[in-house]
Amino acid sequence: MTPFDTYPAGVFPAGLQDRTPMSSPLEILDARKSFRTPEGGTMTALDGISLKLASAEFVTLLGPSGCGKTTLLRTISGFETLDAGEVLIDGTAVTQMPAHRRPVNTVFQRYALFGHMSVARNVGYALEIAGRDKREIRARVGEMLELVGLAGMEKRAIQQLSGGQQQRVALARALAAKPKLLLLDEPLSALDKNLRQKMQQELKALQRELGIGFIFVTHDQEEALTMSDRIAVLAHGQIQQIGAPTELYQTPANLFTADFLGESNLLPVKVAAGRAGLCDGQSFATARPAGEATLLLRPEALSVTPPEDHALSFTGTIRETYYTGTDHQIALETPAHGTIHALLRSGSALPGLGAEMTLHAPAQGLHLIDEVAA
Amino acid sequence: MSLARRKLLQLIGLLGAPTVFLLVFFFGPLLIMLVYSLLTPGLYGGVDWIFSHLNYGRILGWADTRYEKFDPVYIAIFLRSLKLAALTVVASLAVCYPAAFWISRMRPGMRDFAIFLVTLPFFVSLIVRLFAWVLILRPTGFLNQGLMGLGLTGAPIEFLYTDFAVILGMTYVFIPFMFLPLYGSIEKLDLAQIEASSDLGATRFQTFRKVILPATLPGIVGGSVITFIPALGNFIVPSVLGGAKVLMIGNLIEQQFLSARNWPFGSALAMLVMSAVLILLIAQFRLAKKEAQS
Repeated sequence: MTPFDTYPAGVFPAGLQDRTPMSSPLEILDARKSFRTPEGGTMTALDGISLKLASAEFVTLLGPSGCGKTTLLRTISGFETLDAGEVLIDGTAVTQMPAHRRPVNTVFQRYALFGHMSVARNVGYALEIAGRDKREIRARVGEMLELVGLAGMEKRAIQQLSGGQQQRVALARALAAKPKLLLLDEPLSALDKNLRQKMQQELKALQRELGIGFIFVTHDQEEALTMSDRIAVLAHGQIQQIGAPTELYQTPANLFTADFLGESNLLPVKVAAGRAGLCDGQSFATARPAGEATLLLRPEALSVTPPEDHALSFTGTIRETYYTGTDHQIALETPAHGTIHALLRSGSALPGLGAEMTLHAPAQGLHLIDEVAA
Repeated sequence: MSLARRKLLQLIGLLGAPTVFLLVFFFGPLLIMLVYSLLTPGLYGGVDWIFSHLNYGRILGWADTRYEKFDPVYIAIFLRSLKLAALTVVASLAVCYPAAFWISRMRPGMRDFAIFLVTLPFFVSLIVRLFAWVLILRPTGFLNQGLMGLGLTGAPIEFLYTDFAVILGMTYVFIPFMFLPLYGSIEKLDLAQIEASSDLGATRFQTFRKVILPATLPGIVGGSVITFIPALGNFIVPSVLGGAKVLMIGNLIEQQFLSARNWPFGSALAMLVMSAVLILLIAQFRLAKKEAQS
């Protein structure tokens, strides 16, 4: 209980308004960690990462393999110690606390269920360790199994379960001790696509229902966009950008984020006197200061018929088309910009391969990044 | 020829020879021992074909004739053998469990080399290796010289011809027997499970007791059984390192056959060891079955 808890939101004494009334479920301050490689060099896994959960959020750590996302998760769970920096859980510094004393639980990538125990003992393990009453454990296990849709499966052996069911047991086991924060280390990567989508929705719903923070690690950008309240894009041990999925997708701060999240057309532009000019002479209005920049144009922003706020046009030959059911994916070979990728709603009439075609972009779909591709 | 018939013939062709071999050379001698244990010893060795249950009576307590008397010393020797074999199992476990853990975490090249080292003693004759231990343990041996050189003891300590020497020797001999099944189960241990246990609040000790130990129990039981059985009947180690002071049931059986030339009594003692081993194996089998069901 902090002194601020006694004040309703927004009416803190003067000078304290900038301080949050409740402690954040997770706060990471300037985390640094490097490993020695077998060849004798050092590899920087975390290069000054700071992250703060505003409330019980669903935050995804997204990045390619080797970007440090798993290391970051492991410093939260306590399996890795930081070289420098702090980890606070619920306002308490846990940087030096061993894993078994931290109030967080993890859903592991390959579940790591105890093969010699029944489903019930797996789920009740944390409570058994804590020395809770048998009846209480049984009740909580039943409750947890119901929560993950495995009611009545207490006595089953782990080996009798399907991959999806094991996933749910791992989830129930991690939630049984009411952690303040749930960590998920690519838990869906072993599931087939349909089951994965179902679990994504269930996880999101579960997080909302439980009202605790979820930290979800994945390299799957679609998964990240679907589930997260906020996504932290990681590369080279640093957070490239953190924000809501729409923000990251529509207005990425740098080329890495733009390229990593979704398909993108990246075109170099020169900004001068309030207008950004492409290499073929087309230009559009921008508020950016003068200099070089990169234009991000998402494939789905392009259309066959000119939009009302029409800004740019690209004419070229159709090189490739793929039909996905809902859309046509098109690769348009243009003389000035190389290949432009477009995603058109199916239903619109398409000229065949090799035909000439003009695509239009609205002013609203243009986003400038203050970075130039090397 | 029908397919089933052909399969049957194939099976007989493959398994026939070993089956006959085992029947003749394994069960045959056992049967002879069983029959001999119920006969009367001949005056100059061999057997007289007269039924007698007194061979068992001498061990178990009902023999009371002029020549065949009950003597509790046999049971005492048997119990001591059980004790020494059990202590050998405990000592082997204490050595092999951490070693297997350590070796299983090595990088692959080192690991194979370490496993090779564990089995290396098999390449040298058992008798030679045991006499090496005599040289180490005797009063003027390496160990006592070392201890006296360091000033830890004034006079040589009696290591040789003690229970300690026998347990040490048997542990040394049976370490590969214990190590390999243990290693098999420890190597399969999922490291993520250890992390999961810790993540769920268990201390190292709790993790060991609740996750590591149960997961490696099959290896512990398997290694213990195949160490205990040969240790119980062993007579080479106690005769080299135990001398006349530490007599085990194996030595007693050897004496009955070779020195005392009382084959029926030797057979009866051997049957006693056999039944003890059989009871142990049945118990283990039951346990494993129960484990598999739960």
